[in-house]
Amino acid sequence: MTRTATFAREQLRTPFTLVLLVAVPAFFVAATAGVLSDFARALGGGLAGDAAAALAAGWSAAFVSGTLGFFQATSSRGADRRLALAGAGAGRVAAARITASLALAVVAAGAGFVALLIRQGVVHPWHAGAAVLAFALIYLAVGILIGAVISGPLEGSLAVAFVFLLDVFSGPGMAPHAAFYSVSRKAADVLISAATGQSSPASDWFALGAVVAVALSSSFAAFAYSARSRG
Amino acid sequence: MTEGAPSAAPVLRSSRQVLGVLSVTKAFRRGPPWRRRTVPVLRGASLHVDAGELVGLVGENGSGKSTLMQIIVGLMGRDGGTVDRPPRLGYCPQLPLLWDKLTVAEHFELFAQAYGLDPAAARASRDALLEELRFGKYLGYRVEALSGGTRQKLNLALALLHQPQLLLLDEPYSGFDWETYLRFWEMAEQRRRDGMGILIVSHMLSERERLTRVYELRQGRCEIG
Repeated sequence: MTRTATFAREQLRTPFTLVLLVAVPAFFVAATAGVLSDFARALGGGLAGDAAAALAAGWSAAFVSGTLGFFQATSSRGADRRLALAGAGAGRVAAARITASLALAVVAAGAGFVALLIRQGVVHPWHAGAAVLAFALIYLAVGILIGAVISGPLEGSLAVAFVFLLDVFSGPGMAPHAAFYSVSRKAADVLISAATGQSSPASDWFALGAVVAVALSSSFAAFAYSARSRG
Repeated sequence: MTEGAPSAAPVLRSSRQVLGVLSVTKAFRRGPPWRRRTVPVLRGASLHVDAGELVGLVGENGSGKSTLMQIIVGLMGRDGGTVDRPPRLGYCPQLPLLWDKLTVAEHFELFAQAYGLDPAAARASRDALLEELRFGKYLGYRVEALSGGTRQKLNLALALLHQPQLLLLDEPYSGFDWETYLRFWEMAEQRRRDGMGILIVSHMLSERERLTRVYELRQGRCEIG
């Protein structure tokens, strides 16, 4: 069995994790889409109807992936470093960890996307699916990066929640103008367009791809850095 | 960077040497940036281990034993000094560094891959260790279901799987019952006779007669006790 498969299996052996991966996105999309529109109007944003439900899918996948990413980075750090020092190498251990985490992010994104399709259908389903996945991948990286510098479970979870809330309330749909520090704003732009029947310009797709690539590269570097040999 | 004076303990360099630690210094920075203070832990620690030696390193709680061990292994950086170690070393940390959700068999598999062992050699070595430490019946158990003593056996077995040239043991027998404790010393002596260099770190070593040499870590330096 490969290292990646073993690490993925390790995560899947926590039944509650699996339940959260599927239940949180599905419940969030089903229950909160309507409330989000009212909330967005109160904040001065223009989020409404189908776009609200679509963003709910992205945000739920993001939050679950971010939290998972954080615990992936912290819960196994000691054993991962020992394995890296034993000869597996920091880069290979980091690659296996990231790949195993990606599988979980795909499950979370899939749950959110399916819930969205069931709730209302989407005009551009492939675009919407890609955007929800991008949300999950960006936040997976956010969780891993936070896990690289904060080891306490309470502090780390709060940090993930802080980044998430800041992002949500300053992102497209919720704020009149998306803030530059909203890490998922390009994913939100693409997702809102897909849900409202518009196609996103190529520049949005390139920007989204760049954000995801930078996020995953940074998380790989953070993993490899924490598992490296010193001296 | 903190530079410590060389230790009083000599570092011998010979063809049989498997570990050479020379004048290692390490200090930790404590407190917020505006009230930062530096706490020196190692002030020029030196020791050596030859092939076929069973060497002890003792010291009070907080004397820096585990810090020195982590520097030797490469888990922690040092401020100064040198560490010469062989490429094939085994490390048994004080607290078992294992994955709770993986089975004993999966741990052996991951470490065998990391050590670069071929499947047949890995299986033979694994089975011998399971027999030697008598925990073969737990092969399919997840670590979270194991007792503290059995976790420690796995922790030790993973360090021995590839028959290292140098074995580094940090408080290796905490959690062992008496029978396993005695078996541990038999295993250590057998491997020493086979030519393995072994360094055992402990806050208390009651088996000094079994050891080639004992270093005491005192005020950041190793002294032969």
